[in-house]
Amino acid sequence: MQAFLAEYLPILIFIGIATIFSGIAVGASLFIAPQRPDVEKTSAYECGFEAFGDARHKFDVRFYLVAILFIIFDLEVAFLFPWAISLGNIGAFGFWSMMIFLGILTIGFVYEWRKGALEWE
Amino acid sequence: MIEALAFYIFSSIAVAAAFMVISARNPVHSVLFLILTFFNVAGMFVILGAEFLAMILVVVYVGAVAVLFMFVVMMLDINFVELRQGFLNYLPIGSLIGLVMLIELATLFGSWVVTPVIANRGLMPTPSPDITTNTHALGNIVYTHYVYLFQAAGMILLVAMIGAIVLTHRNRPGVKKQDIGRQLNRNPANSVEIRKVEIGKGI
Amino acid sequence: MLEITISHYLTVAAILFTLGIVGIFLNRKNVIIILMSVELMLLAVNLNLVAFSSHLNDLVGQVFAMFILTVAAAEAAVGLAILVVFFRNRGSIAVEDVNMMKG
Repeated sequence: MQAFLAEYLPILIFIGIATIFSGIAVGASLFIAPQRPDVEKTSAYECGFEAFGDARHKFDVRFYLVAILFIIFDLEVAFLFPWAISLGNIGAFGFWSMMIFLGILTIGFVYEWRKGALEWE
Repeated sequence: MIEALAFYIFSSIAVAAAFMVISARNPVHSVLFLILTFFNVAGMFVILGAEFLAMILVVVYVGAVAVLFMFVVMMLDINFVELRQGFLNYLPIGSLIGLVMLIELATLFGSWVVTPVIANRGLMPTPSPDITTNTHALGNIVYTHYVYLFQAAGMILLVAMIGAIVLTHRNRPGVKKQDIGRQLNRNPANSVEIRKVEIGKGI
Repeated sequence: MLEITISHYLTVAAILFTLGIVGIFLNRKNVIIILMSVELMLLAVNLNLVAFSSHLNDLVGQVFAMFILTVAAAEAAVGLAILVVFFRNRGSIAVEDVNMMKG
């Protein structure tokens, strides 16, 4: 096994323990607790009267626009990580290369600002 | 030993979750299984030594793309049971094509070997993880050797951003917004009207 | 068995890719699942690239996998935006209804 993989061993153990614990928590309530469902128990409960609508609510499109813009800037930041680490090796060229990249994305940022895509209204 | 065990766990969960993505009844479950697949493939990336890509996969894919899928599933008010009609009709042709594809890929990978000579002859040999971290090694070449691809990626992100705004952004009519410039420019001359009201007549 | 070689990774990637293709065929009506299948296929391609990068000790594979991840995220964003607009105009996301451009 390579040396750097040993550093990930605690994470693996952690994932294993988390899986086991959540499995026990869900499994125990599934097997130990008495389960006698009927129509009234499983139907939606809304303060005594029949449920008005579906439990799933339609989201607004504006949330979606925010999520898309988040993806783009998430990727931009993801590209910043290796750049920040190796800035000492790549010199001025690497620095300006990233500046151009950021400039291109700033054009998009200005566009969305002018369009009002960031405003909630 | 642990490495092999981890590989088998990750790969089997990834394949099982990928199967559930395409066969789950509820699209919300499909998205959740997609997240599970991404996680397990990220685990395999770590075993392969691509630590930075594993991080990107978790941060960008699980954190953003899967959430985007979830938003769309929750946003569209669709009867998903209706959309599943014909699932069984397509099952024979779909599994036939999948089987053919799998057999082709299996024969390709089974009969094909990489010469040991070619190892370490690549364009950019990976430095040993004891000397440089994976992220550092990537940073050393992405921004200088692959600068054109890097700028092209920036362009693609710009196009995606503008495209998404053009497609989904809609100006709502009848929304009253605060316009600070207009507020500050207001003066008595253009906002107050003084009239002489005659007694007993009104305006 | 305990020695994990490149063919193990290639096999997993091949299975993921095939599942993506089968997913497109099975869920022909639901564009959301089709987009998820495309994501699966791109993931399989990335796994191939990273496996070869590790096997050949060449970092270029990882660089390309990084760019593929970028393009795939942009594709998902624009694809889902088109889906949202289509749903807004037609009230459905069935692939069969996407025939307005037929002559």
